[in-house]
Amino acid sequence: MRALWLGLRAIIIKDIVVELRARQVLPTMVVLGMLIVFILRMASEPGSTAAGGTVMGVAALWIAFLFSGLLAQERSFAAEQQNGCMDGLLLAPLDAGTIYLAKLLANVIMLTIFEAIVVPIAILSFNLHVTGGWLRLAAVLLLGNLGISSVGTLFSAAVQLTRTRGSLLSIIVLVILMPMMIPATFALLVLFGTMPVETESLASLRGSGTLAFVGSFKAAIGYMLAFDAIFVVACWLLFGVVVEE
Amino acid sequence: MAQDIPTSMALHVHGVSKTFVTRPVLRGIDLAVPKGQAVCLCGINGAGKSTLLRIAAGLLRPDGGTVIVNGFDIRKHVEAAKRQIGVISHASMVYPELTVFENLAFAARLYGVAGRAARIEELLAGTALTSFRHDRAGILSRGLLQRLAIARALLHEPVVLLADEAFTGLDADVSERLVAIFDQFVRGGGTILMTTHDTRMGLRCCHRVVILDHGVLVLDAMKDKIDADRFADDYVSYARSMS
Amino acid sequence: MRRLLFALAFVLLVASTWIGLTQGQIVPVQRNILYAHVPNSVCALLCFVVLLAASIGYLITGKQAWDLVAVASAEAGFVFATILNATGMLFSRAEWNVWWTASPRLVTSAILWFLYAVYLILRVSLPSSQYRRARICAVFGIIAFLDVPLVFVSARFIPDIHRPNFSFDSPWQMVALMLGMAGTGLLAAALIWLRTSLLRSGVELERQLLQ
Repeated sequence: MRALWLGLRAIIIKDIVVELRARQVLPTMVVLGMLIVFILRMASEPGSTAAGGTVMGVAALWIAFLFSGLLAQERSFAAEQQNGCMDGLLLAPLDAGTIYLAKLLANVIMLTIFEAIVVPIAILSFNLHVTGGWLRLAAVLLLGNLGISSVGTLFSAAVQLTRTRGSLLSIIVLVILMPMMIPATFALLVLFGTMPVETESLASLRGSGTLAFVGSFKAAIGYMLAFDAIFVVACWLLFGVVVEE
Repeated sequence: MAQDIPTSMALHVHGVSKTFVTRPVLRGIDLAVPKGQAVCLCGINGAGKSTLLRIAAGLLRPDGGTVIVNGFDIRKHVEAAKRQIGVISHASMVYPELTVFENLAFAARLYGVAGRAARIEELLAGTALTSFRHDRAGILSRGLLQRLAIARALLHEPVVLLADEAFTGLDADVSERLVAIFDQFVRGGGTILMTTHDTRMGLRCCHRVVILDHGVLVLDAMKDKIDADRFADDYVSYARSMS
Repeated sequence: MRRLLFALAFVLLVASTWIGLTQGQIVPVQRNILYAHVPNSVCALLCFVVLLAASIGYLITGKQAWDLVAVASAEAGFVFATILNATGMLFSRAEWNVWWTASPRLVTSAILWFLYAVYLILRVSLPSSQYRRARICAVFGIIAFLDVPLVFVSARFIPDIHRPNFSFDSPWQMVALMLGMAGTGLLAAALIWLRTSLLRSGVELERQLLQ
């Protein structure tokens, strides 16, 4: 057990050190994120209302997250491809699940660093007001981060190791993550004060007899938590299958 | 199967076969290598040498057969078996952004090597890399990289060393050093299974020669039974003439 | 046997349509698309279940037959998902005058379609000479299937402003719907069967040519 923990920690630290020295991916991620925020800010300029601006801001954030996250994940296994380092990892007395968790955490850390830079930029450029509280904002972003990284880490290994051309990873991650984007967007809209937790029309829907999560922030968080739990476990279990030759 | 696992065998390959989609690459390979022996695996390109080595290392799953390393079945006791194996291939498995020392420290952590610092120093000395310890691996020449790869492979004191085309691209000087390290390893009780195109080098380092052709071992003989010149010229036809 | 299935499916579908449009007509008229929409929705999901089973089967046994069934069911499912989306959009246009809106039903249909589309693109893009393609597609099949219930739950976050109320006025409607379901189900089974054997022949042919 201790050996697994040592190996896990070693891989995470190695990934971070390598990235800090190569200084390639993190700057690219940040610049990409900033560009996305900028483009969407420009797009929302003509005829913008406060609410419309917030919606665009939230969209910009999640899109930036998704695409920069993809960059991080691609890097994660591209670095192992050169010099046959992936073989080096697979030869070690570590099970594939441990390698997955290490790579997952390294990706989460990269994406968190990205968040810390780009989210304030988005908040400033879209004039967002964090009415819901910074802690809640951090929680939602972390849950989103985990979801994107969990699926991305699994499939970036799959795509990298088969050496295909084209952005297969992006379509895979985007499609699997689509359902999470709905409550994620909703949660951020609530936190930025655009969508009040309960409104007239939404309240009326509650009475219609079916279970509807419309308007429930707690349900959104719960959903994201469940989503992350399901996919982290599933990807952890399936990672061994994907890296096997 | 109730097979008596010969514990004196460092590496025991039994009935291993592998087919790639339509092409059968290995057909029932049997190879038993006792401790302290160095075996040279020869064959033309595409004969399946690397495939066999990868199966022995646990990187590739065979369609049939077993591989037992120092008493551990590589499929059943994966972690224990992997600890017994060190691998050198033509890819260095080294991170260019990390220094020589850091690469070894990382490998040491992966394998849970006790007394990391001392062991790393030992290997740096053994491969004459001590003066390069703080150099980034990305700037090393091929010869130095190969020495680093060997240090990495021997770090966790493996019983079996699998070397896939270890001499490719090395100049005479570095090759000599490599031979010396292999010799030392074998004298210390280690076992080597290596593949190479350079048959002369192979004959120099190894006690035993096996030839893989069309998925089967066509020759398996000790060095002294082999006519070195005829062998070096064209080992495949030599093997065919012998069988 | 397969021809029988196709013929039976055809008969059932024709019967369903005929009964639906004559005896069981729903008012207003565009709601009759329900007879096409619902069976397709059920079949699209059924194909996903087959895809999951085949993916798991392949990962456990390693036999190529499972892989071929997975591809066949993905292709069939894609067809059904396409029809599902098309009928959904037609309904949306007729009922609410917009071709598409972010309503739970349309969103779930769309994501289902995307899941199939990505599976098929993966299938086509990965190099086919390795076992890896089959394995990765199987892994994607399992992950995508885990996504499906999550899609339905996430749709509950979308306000369903217009919720059409489906209740049956006459027993004929129920009959038509059931016939449609049965017909489409048989069609799905027959398609998957046909496609699997086509794929199998293709693989066999390739094997012969390479030897």
